[in-house]
Amino acid sequence: MALRNGITSMLRQAAIVKQHCPASRLSTTTTMHLDANNNDLATLNKTRLDTTEGKSLNEIGLGPMDRTKDFDTRIELDVQDDLTSFNGVPKEHTKGRTVRIYVPARNQMQSATNNSHLWKLDFDVRERWENPLIGWASTGDPLSNMQLNFKSKESAIAFAQKNGWEFVVEEPQPAWQYKHKSYGYNFSWNKRTRVSTK
Amino acid sequence: MFHPGGVHGARHIAQSLHHVKNAIRGTCSSKLLMQQKAAAAVAVESKKGTVTPPPTGPAPTAPAAPNSVEVYIDDKMVMVEPGTTVLQAAALAGVEIPRFCYHDRLSIAGNCRMCLVEVEKSVKPVASCAMPVMKGMRVKTNSPMTRKAREGVMEFLLMNHPLDCPICDQGGECDLQDQSMMFGSDRSRFTDIKFDGKRAVEDKNIGPLIKTIMNRCIHCTRCIRFGSEVAGVDDLGTTGRGNEMQVGTYVEKLFASELSGNVIDLCPVGALTSKPYAFTYRPWELRKHESVDVMDGLGSAILVNSRGGEIIRILPRVHEGINEEWISDKTRFVYDGLKRQRLTQPMLKNSQGLLEPVDWEDALSGIAARINRVPGQEMAALVGGLCDVEALTALKDLMNRLGCETLCTEESFPMNAAGTDLRSNYLLNTKITGVEEADLVLLIGTNIRFEAPVLNARIRKAYLHNNLRIASIGERVDLRYETDFLGDSVHVLAQLADGDHKYSEILSKAKKPMIIVGSSSLQHGDGTAVLANAIVLADSLRSKMSSNGDESDWKVLNVLHRHANQVGALDLGYKAGPSAIKQMQPKVLFMMGADDGVVQRRDLAGDAFVIYQGHHGDKGAEMADAVLPGAAYTEKYATYVNTEGRAQRGNVAVTPPGMAREDWKILRALSEFVRGSSVLPYDSLDEVRKRLAEIAPHLTRYGQVEDANYFRQSKDLVWNAARPGHSGQTLPAQQRELEDFYMTNTISRASRTMAKCVTAARHQKSTRYGL
Amino acid sequence: MSLIQKTLNLFRAIKQNGGILSSLKTLYVTDDLKWGTHVGTDKYGNKYYENNYYFLSRNRWVIYNPDFHLDYDGSQIPPEWHMWMHYTTDKPPTVKPPVNYKWMVPHQENKSGSSEMYYPYSTTRTKIESWQPAHLRTADTEEQNPKLFNIPQNNRIGVQ
Repeated sequence: MALRNGITSMLRQAAIVKQHCPASRLSTTTTMHLDANNNDLATLNKTRLDTTEGKSLNEIGLGPMDRTKDFDTRIELDVQDDLTSFNGVPKEHTKGRTVRIYVPARNQMQSATNNSHLWKLDFDVRERWENPLIGWASTGDPLSNMQLNFKSKESAIAFAQKNGWEFVVEEPQPAWQYKHKSYGYNFSWNKRTRVSTK
Repeated sequence: MFHPGGVHGARHIAQSLHHVKNAIRGTCSSKLLMQQKAAAAVAVESKKGTVTPPPTGPAPTAPAAPNSVEVYIDDKMVMVEPGTTVLQAAALAGVEIPRFCYHDRLSIAGNCRMCLVEVEKSVKPVASCAMPVMKGMRVKTNSPMTRKAREGVMEFLLMNHPLDCPICDQGGECDLQDQSMMFGSDRSRFTDIKFDGKRAVEDKNIGPLIKTIMNRCIHCTRCIRFGSEVAGVDDLGTTGRGNEMQVGTYVEKLFASELSGNVIDLCPVGALTSKPYAFTYRPWELRKHESVDVMDGLGSAILVNSRGGEIIRILPRVHEGINEEWISDKTRFVYDGLKRQRLTQPMLKNSQGLLEPVDWEDALSGIAARINRVPGQEMAALVGGLCDVEALTALKDLMNRLGCETLCTEESFPMNAAGTDLRSNYLLNTKITGVEEADLVLLIGTNIRFEAPVLNARIRKAYLHNNLRIASIGERVDLRYETDFLGDSVHVLAQLADGDHKYSEILSKAKKPMIIVGSSSLQHGDGTAVLANAIVLADSLRSKMSSNGDESDWKVLNVLHRHANQVGALDLGYKAGPSAIKQMQPKVLFMMGADDGVVQRRDLAGDAFVIYQGHHGDKGAEMADAVLPGAAYTEKYATYVNTEGRAQRGNVAVTPPGMAREDWKILRALSEFVRGSSVLPYDSLDEVRKRLAEIAPHLTRYGQVEDANYFRQSKDLVWNAARPGHSGQTLPAQQRELEDFYMTNTISRASRTMAKCVTAARHQKSTRYGL
Repeated sequence: MSLIQKTLNLFRAIKQNGGILSSLKTLYVTDDLKWGTHVGTDKYGNKYYENNYYFLSRNRWVIYNPDFHLDYDGSQIPPEWHMWMHYTTDKPPTVKPPVNYKWMVPHQENKSGSSEMYYPYSTTRTKIESWQPAHLRTADTEEQNPKLFNIPQNNRIGVQ
């Protein structure tokens, strides 16, 4: 909770920071996850009473809820985010880093599709070398092991922009087209689909 | 915190109210609204019975058919075409049914029984992969009966499957492993009561690429169906029945297909695994990098797996427009060539005329010193087919700034009439997917089976399923499907172009004909005549189509290139063919990835200075005075334009070895050293790509095919020029047999695996069973 | 032991070391001043002494060749004298010469810290095999070509 408050104040700070500098970035939307936890919602409500204009919690959709329901609350802030000025990430890992945003390919070795539903964000590949001590692989890039999953392309882009990374979006290829198939094709006399070896 | 003004905030909160109520995830306000509308539409439509596909992933989309029937999958209604199988209908409903033998791109076998589901009013469970749907059918994919059926099937499968997962290469990406965890029983009833062991089957030797551990085979017959349907090689089959059934090649024999590696992917267990990858790594240890292949002109989508700065294996990625989900053996197994014969440090000839390793600075200043002595008109550049667009741009910019205009590709192209000025002349205009629509394909001077194996698989698919008719001109080769052989020289083509060949009538009756001219036939002496006649023939077919009332913009003429980025080089304005270089006898020749040996020392001035930039030591490096180590295709962020004109991005999997660097960076560095104001105006990949977009915007429209047109103009130019004569010699196939397929470029020539394949193919040819 | 005995020993030591000045020099170099029987001299010019007046482990010693000056080191003692020095044998090589087998390599002092020092290297294949221009290629098969391995060409750490 303390962390969340921290983030909220950080975002507020970002908005203030932005008021002082010319808006060079696109306006992006920040999303935050919240549990369906009334305490959290109450805390949150406190932080944004100034904008609710006297509406009840139910009216603004933050009242008590059925916790068994599957839902995903996101708070959307219309701020121009650029966390790079104060998030403490070294310059060499913000400027000049390119992230790739893509839907990962299905593993062709398997039939199922489970790993290919989310958008993935990962970083440009930097050098890896064989460590002379025992032959393990070394890298000087702390971001090389970071892969982030997003539900949508937009949120991945927003995250990249917020962190000052250049990004490349790979749109997924058009999906497989349904083809009519029948078991009977194996045995049809007049078609080339007739199977000779089995 | 919010945007100034309370209105915004209020609207926002109101939206999140909706948001929560509808439990729809959205990220920006307008998007949210749209999604809500879409959701409402879904709700309405699902009453009508249509189904929307899941948002991402390779889920199939349903065609809207008027006579569709409704089926209920787990009480969810889908409308499908009559005759659709239950499994396909379930896929449309977003339900993945476990399967071993069923594969979307293969025929239905129905022998693994893993896809059993309960159908209401059916006494027994039904094999959903083979069962066509019926009106009002109610399928239960997760009922106790279904689960029990799966558990039973799994028990039978595991009874004869060895428990060797710890030493199995499929471990970690094994369908049997995963499905036994998901659907199998939690205990075993298998007791080896007579101590006679599980079923034991002898391993088969089917070549240097595929390792077989036949004990693990679960008889799904995917490999057999792949062989006979996709590859067109009936080498694999079964012998025996029941428990005695074995999958094999009947006699010990090479699985003689250029697509054989795909059976490794298809095999749902570890019976067929990759020999070069055997016992190296587990799949979860590997880093995956999506990239583009450069072994042929198609630019197949690949997934490069690396670990510790080393490439471990290459897998295909699905790309419906290019490779579906197959890749050729060269694409899949060439990666060990990336580790041999590499140029890892700059080299310069010393006073004794011997190449010796030097620093980058010495190399670049040494080269610049030589370049600065020679006027631009006496310089030339020659590029190979593996160079990326970024490097080609940097090279062209640099040479142009030095006053050099002679930049050529190794691969020739007839410069008669429009030549390479009209893009339509050198593209695969109907696209690769055009094969599926076409009803007649005329292959001219190409052994498409080895020049573009994946495209050949698609032609074969259309041959099987669409009754595609295929005719061929040129040396007679085995394409693994029936072709109407028209003749082996341009003479036949000229007759067709004039319309006085007996096949002309068949051609003109075709609704969607495709003419595919192999670029290998254009290297030949009759190349000019080949292209000119093909252009004329294509134009006459087009005009016939439009006179028949065909409004579709069907492009008939196609050129199939053999090199990954030949189209990219031509798009950038490189001259096709080395003839200009041979004519001018340059004093400085800059060769980038030019390893086919089309320009020799004797074609140059006596004291010519040859600079070679590339990643492998081959013919180019052998004749060079200076060697600059560049990056191979898995080591650079690079753009390649495939034979359709589709610009694609390749990504880095590992960094270049030793002192090697990305190619455009080398040229950028060199431009600092050479005379005058030649410094190239880009410092980052982004800036290079901006420059690409300046030259030709389609080069940065990634993934899209940039169409070309002006067929009529091209034909007019051919008419206006004198009709080129021809010698009437046989149009030779450059890659005639399987052994010619494996080693075609500098990477595959360095590969030991490819060398083993050549040996195996030659050996197979010499045996009594032949290829 | 009487003071006289000690004084006598001091004089004997000074005498054996060739006077006061060179005794001081010996003291500076070896931090010790002893007298004893000269048992022998090895091929490097190191002199070996014995005096059983000193207790065991001090009774055999070596005075290194003055050429080494302060740069002496235990590994400069060849193995046959090493045996005698370490009481493996009581008979010095002057009395019982060592057997010379053909497989014996000549003794070499420890080169650590010098420019000829040994350092370990990997014997696994490099992941990337470099192309070599024709004149640097060995005629042997590539498998036997040490350039394919990580073995440094002169087997020494480059001077930083």
